[in-house]
Amino acid sequence: MRCPTSGILSRQREREQKNPMNPTMTTSPQARRNARPQDPSVLHTYETLIVGAGFAGLGSAIRLRQAGIRDIVILERGHAVGGTWRDNQYPGAACDIPSNLYSYSFAQNPDWSRAYSGSREILSYVEGLVRQYELAPLIRFGQDVIELSFDKASRRWLAKTAAGQTYGARTVVMAQGPLSNASFPDMPGIGSYQGHKIHSARWDHGYDFAGKRVAVIGTGASAIQIIPELVKQAGFVKVFQRTPGWVLPRPDYGTPNWMRALFRRAPAAQAALRQALYAAHESMATGLIWRTPASRMLEQVASLHLRSQVPDTWMRRQLTPDYRIGCKRVLVSNDYYPALRQPNAKLITWPIATLSPRGIRTVEGVEHQADCIVFATGFDVSKTGTPFPIHGLGGRLLSEDWQRGAQAYRSVSVAGYPNLFFTFGPNSGPGHNSALVYMESQIDYIVQGVRLVIEQDLKWLDVQEGAQQRYNAAIQRRLAGTNWNSGCKSWYLTEDGFNGSMYPGFATQYRLQMHRLPQGDYSLVR
Amino acid sequence: MQLDLDRMRDKIKASQWALADIDWDAPGRELVTNDPDLYPKLKAFMADLMWIEHVGARGFAAMAKKTPNDTLREIYTYFHAEEQRHANAEMALMQRWGMLDGEGLPEPNINIRLVVEWLDAYADDMPLSVLGSVIPMLEIALDGALCKFLLETVKDPVCHAAFEKINADEARHLGVDFHVLEMLGHSPVYRQTLQMAGKLIDPRLLIGILAYLPLLNRMRDNLVELGLKEERLYEAIRKYRRVGGTPGGLRNPWFQLISRHGGWMVNRRNRLYHVPVDALVRLTGRIPPRLLPQVPSWVHELTWKPTA
Repeated sequence: MRCPTSGILSRQREREQKNPMNPTMTTSPQARRNARPQDPSVLHTYETLIVGAGFAGLGSAIRLRQAGIRDIVILERGHAVGGTWRDNQYPGAACDIPSNLYSYSFAQNPDWSRAYSGSREILSYVEGLVRQYELAPLIRFGQDVIELSFDKASRRWLAKTAAGQTYGARTVVMAQGPLSNASFPDMPGIGSYQGHKIHSARWDHGYDFAGKRVAVIGTGASAIQIIPELVKQAGFVKVFQRTPGWVLPRPDYGTPNWMRALFRRAPAAQAALRQALYAAHESMATGLIWRTPASRMLEQVASLHLRSQVPDTWMRRQLTPDYRIGCKRVLVSNDYYPALRQPNAKLITWPIATLSPRGIRTVEGVEHQADCIVFATGFDVSKTGTPFPIHGLGGRLLSEDWQRGAQAYRSVSVAGYPNLFFTFGPNSGPGHNSALVYMESQIDYIVQGVRLVIEQDLKWLDVQEGAQQRYNAAIQRRLAGTNWNSGCKSWYLTEDGFNGSMYPGFATQYRLQMHRLPQGDYSLVR
Repeated sequence: MQLDLDRMRDKIKASQWALADIDWDAPGRELVTNDPDLYPKLKAFMADLMWIEHVGARGFAAMAKKTPNDTLREIYTYFHAEEQRHANAEMALMQRWGMLDGEGLPEPNINIRLVVEWLDAYADDMPLSVLGSVIPMLEIALDGALCKFLLETVKDPVCHAAFEKINADEARHLGVDFHVLEMLGHSPVYRQTLQMAGKLIDPRLLIGILAYLPLLNRMRDNLVELGLKEERLYEAIRKYRRVGGTPGGLRNPWFQLISRHGGWMVNRRNRLYHVPVDALVRLTGRIPPRLLPQVPSWVHELTWKPTA
């Protein structure tokens, strides 16, 4: 792996320091508050601006630099890297994809402590990427982008931040992450509750759960990791479930020392394991994405898993989904069901009527009093809008273009928004394999696009409207036959049932389509 | 009866109440506890009523699994919980009147117990056409009618406060029940009839019918024992035919069967029906409780406590 030379980095820093209007010079909070919008004519124009310093943003920076794109800035709204893994540090937080697959193929880590590592270890891996690839100088922390506009005259994007600064760049990579925003749900009476409130994505590490009555709202991917840990710590835990999920057993194990040693000495062995894991997850697509005999088999496995851990028939009924496996995100856990059966835990499936000052009132008329409510209610996934206004050619607004559902070409480019590239864009979500496999394909595709703009000195590179429409018509046709569109409500779908989130196919198919940027489908304006 | 289900769901959500909304310690309990004639009969009646609500709750739980309509599924999920709330409120009244022995649940009569067993074992296997046709009968005849009888007999203001809320819920339940009954009759009659004929030879359903028939007669006997006129129960059963007899309802063969059975039930002179069913009541009364399996765990969700 090639790393950038320190000389280049020094030159970049030097260039920034020479520019009195350089946003990075206004460092104190007071100075940032007083900062007036810079004159765009004197702004430094980066080759690439990346929004977000999580997995996608850092991975993009690494691959762009390896491809020779040097002048990069990463705007990060937080004060540390890691994105979703920085934010999701709740007890028990872990990835439900094996770490050897949930990591970059170009930056394998031989020292994963477990098959499914916890969030702290994943965050350490992300931080390690920053060190290994010397990315720190590129990152501007505390820069929350609030608006992005394409300036046709100067053929560059201008990014305004909440701190009052403006950054200019020829190309932009959107790597803000689909699961980066979380807020308390809009539930009746939530303002009246007087106890402690914690959101799973913004964990309060200072709160002592010992002896406390805790209510957990939600039974999704975060909740089923939190609940077993809370049951160990708290006095009593009540779990409020709206819809049960299909839960498969998690083949987790501690990595033996010999394996780590082997991976250190022979990276090919780790690559082989990664390939095996990739193939195993690819095979799951046949059951999770489409309704096939494999779906029934997976449902049987999940049902047996439930039966083996929950003897009571009524509780099993409560925990058995009435939708196809794969329609919502499939969960993996070995300790969720046993946790619910502990004497200090109770599963509650009555609908929530309202929150009250002392707890949660459910429709069966009982007020479940709680010292603390943990909201494991997921993320504010933007399915039709964008996290901030994005103005493209002619002042068009992306949120308006996406009013009826987000659409892009190959999930990366959107017509009318030239030189702008999305990671985790529309219809790029996997339901069965590692998101990072998809992300790597997107990044390599983006690198081709950015290189095209920079090396050929294009005014812009814009996907053709027709190509985008054809691509999306095909995607939606294929989605119609998938489990995601089979009738259940999930965060994959908009209120109208439009699926702008998931990619209807194997990861291999996705990788193949992302292998080459087809210039014929783009307008290259010189 | 046509309903806008979305508006009904919103109305249901906006009409929620909790046990804590009622002052269970307010004055008036002596109006029941100081009446030695009423007290023991009312204790048995309340236990039956509470269990009927609970049975209704389980029926709605099964229906929520069956309906293909998202809104209706959500409504049934609410109704399941609301029936449970009614049972909890009735149990809270029993607690107020000192009718609960310690923390234990009141014992249901044997016929309710058999229906509970059947529901637990087979309700989820029954099609919506069966459940959607029989639940309105249970609601209108047992649940609704019994509540009315109670209010005429008991003067305790807390009981009236509780039942004002319960009856408002029940009115919405009946509205949806009869709307679904109407909807169920919309498919071709020959198809409905064939499906019914197929279902009627399903032993699971036959066992359910054997549990259901003596339940009605048992409840009639209990009412008579309480000093109430059985004619009031019959009026409620006739109401099922009257309200459900819409064009769609009349095309629903399950409605036809259940309402016809109601006709047999309300006619005491129909010896062909009452002699064997009364015999079933007596027979089931002889089943030793120890032969029955343990009550399903959902029964233990009942509580009279407003907070937990």
